Amino acid sequence: MPQLRKDPVLKQWVIISPERGKRPQDFPPERGLPPEEDSPCPFCEGNEKMTPKESLAFRKTGTLSDTPGWWVRIIPDRSPILSPEGDVGREGIGMFDAMNSIGVHEVVIEAPLHRQNLLNVNLDQVREVIWAYKQRLQEIKKNPRFKHFLVVKNSGRGVSNFSHSHSHIVATPIIPKRIEEEIDGAREYFHYHDRCIYCDIIRQELGEPSRIVFQDKLFLVFCPFASRFPFEMLIIPMAHQPFFEILDNDHVHGFANALQISLRRMNILLPDIPYNFILHSSPCSESYKDFFHWHVEIIPKLTRVAGFEWGSGFYINPTPPEDAAQMLRDAPI
Amino acid sequence: MPQLRKDPVTKRWVITILENPKGPKDFSVLRVENKQDSCPFCMGKESSTPPEVMSYREPNTLPNQPGWKLRVVPNRYPALQIEGDLDRTGIGLYDMMNGVGAHEVIIETPDHHGSFEVFSVEQVFKIVNAYCDRYRDLKRDRRFRYILIFKNSGSAAGASLDHPHSQLIATPIIPKRVMEEVEGAKQYFYYKERCVFCDIIRQELSSGSRVIHENESFVAFAPFASRFPFETWIAPKDHKASFGEIEEAEQESFAQTLHATMRKLMKTLGSPPFNYIIHTSPCDELCADYYHWHLEIMPRLTKVAGFEWGSGFYVNPVPPEVAARYLKQTDSD
Repeated sequence: MPQLRKDPVLKQWVIISPERGKRPQDFPPERGLPPEEDSPCPFCEGNEKMTPKESLAFRKTGTLSDTPGWWVRIIPDRSPILSPEGDVGREGIGMFDAMNSIGVHEVVIEAPLHRQNLLNVNLDQVREVIWAYKQRLQEIKKNPRFKHFLVVKNSGRGVSNFSHSHSHIVATPIIPKRIEEEIDGAREYFHYHDRCIYCDIIRQELGEPSRIVFQDKLFLVFCPFASRFPFEMLIIPMAHQPFFEILDNDHVHGFANALQISLRRMNILLPDIPYNFILHSSPCSESYKDFFHWHVEIIPKLTRVAGFEWGSGFYINPTPPEDAAQMLRDAPI
Repeated sequence: MPQLRKDPVTKRWVITILENPKGPKDFSVLRVENKQDSCPFCMGKESSTPPEVMSYREPNTLPNQPGWKLRVVPNRYPALQIEGDLDRTGIGLYDMMNGVGAHEVIIETPDHHGSFEVFSVEQVFKIVNAYCDRYRDLKRDRRFRYILIFKNSGSAAGASLDHPHSQLIATPIIPKRVMEEVEGAKQYFYYKERCVFCDIIRQELSSGSRVIHENESFVAFAPFASRFPFETWIAPKDHKASFGEIEEAEQESFAQTLHATMRKLMKTLGSPPFNYIIHTSPCDELCADYYHWHLEIMPRLTKVAGFEWGSGFYVNPVPPEVAARYLKQTDSD
């Protein structure tokens, strides 16, 4: 019998369909990297002049901006979905509301060499990428027009146009809907229980560890109870931390480690699978700090979202998260 | 500069790219065909589906035999199962229940290569008629809270078979996306004592720039905060909450609008994969004053990337006014 499960934060129901009992090899999606272009890759070291001017780079002392010698580099996106210049320009058109798309849209180039990525580089390089996110987000947050920011990674064929390993930083003048829903769910729970719902979820997951993929002192990686997608994972700090961008040294290291282990385990089960990861951090205001708890969602792109899911926000997941967690736990790295 | 637009019902913001908007030729349309001889939905293959729930057929032909014009069968791989009790339980802070529900397939025509490009208005009327018949029948089952009718066409839209078909899923919960619409509409009604959809339709008809097609009772338009390029909604001009209530004359008028709108979309975009979904009131109809049924059509032209997933904040490269202009110009004959 399929089971219906409710996400305690989003109040979203998911159909867990164990009869369909899908294993990693049952998914025939597109695999591998996006097709290589004939033209040189603008993200490679040596091609700095092909991109807009960098907004941040970690580079060898004595090297100049927009020249070789860097190991992580952040640049504005060439075709940004939000633009940093101008006014918010709110207006009403009859019953409709509109405003200018003010914001930041930047690309984080995660390594200088074309074939390097978060799975095959050493842990120090992953840590440098996390430092770069953190440093850039702190800078962006100083602008009071931005209400929220996201760090998003689209990797692989079908989800990204570039094969050179990279992620996006997007700062928005509004709180995006999905985050607003998380906030509402977490706030409601906090008003009722005076506890952070994510802290309670962590406690419950640790108490019945069937969905845990990895844990150490600082971080927990697990497949959520109401996973929408097969092999969906959540990385969350054990201690209550609303803001990602003020992470301390130990947590930067711990997060880099948890992230790399999760991606490597996923890659063993699902070689070269395209995936997304999304950082959910508290909006840029102190008012959410009691009940929001930053976390990262990792979603391998295995199933196609069809009309039913779109229209209803009600997902069908053919792999129970307990099975997914066990396979991920057992993956030899 | 891109514009941010807010959906007045769900309060979802969309980034609308206004400069150099993409036209219908800028999207590459991919269709994957399945083999016909293995199709379980073709005439003569009636024994390869579960026994039919209903059919429209030639006089003197028997159920589960050839001679049908439209056929409704249970899904062979149902997401929800019709037998059993809900058995609601909680484990700590998690809630769950059994996956009880109905999952049916509407085989729209015996013709394997049929589609909205070749369907007559009469064929579309039969399909609409079947939707209504099944809706009314399932609504009598007290376990079901919502009945979702949708169509996935093309593998990129989630269809696993090419033979023209739609699906119906009756669920024991109200799906999240529907709940959001109902809540949004309720808030607007409390504030203004008017249906938000009636107001949208009034504003669209008077401004005209997003209207694609209309007849006496229905209007097809590109919504102000369209999430996807060429997203199109069809709504009845008169207030009616539930799709299940529509009379025969309205069914005819709706079929005529659906036929004309789908032909315009298929011709303009070169038969892209698409989804459509009927949004109707939950079965209890407590929202009869302020909900307004409608159909949402989403051509699948762009890939939804991590940013959209993580934020619920969409980027649309075609302003709905531009999409409406293309569609209005295209002949539906």
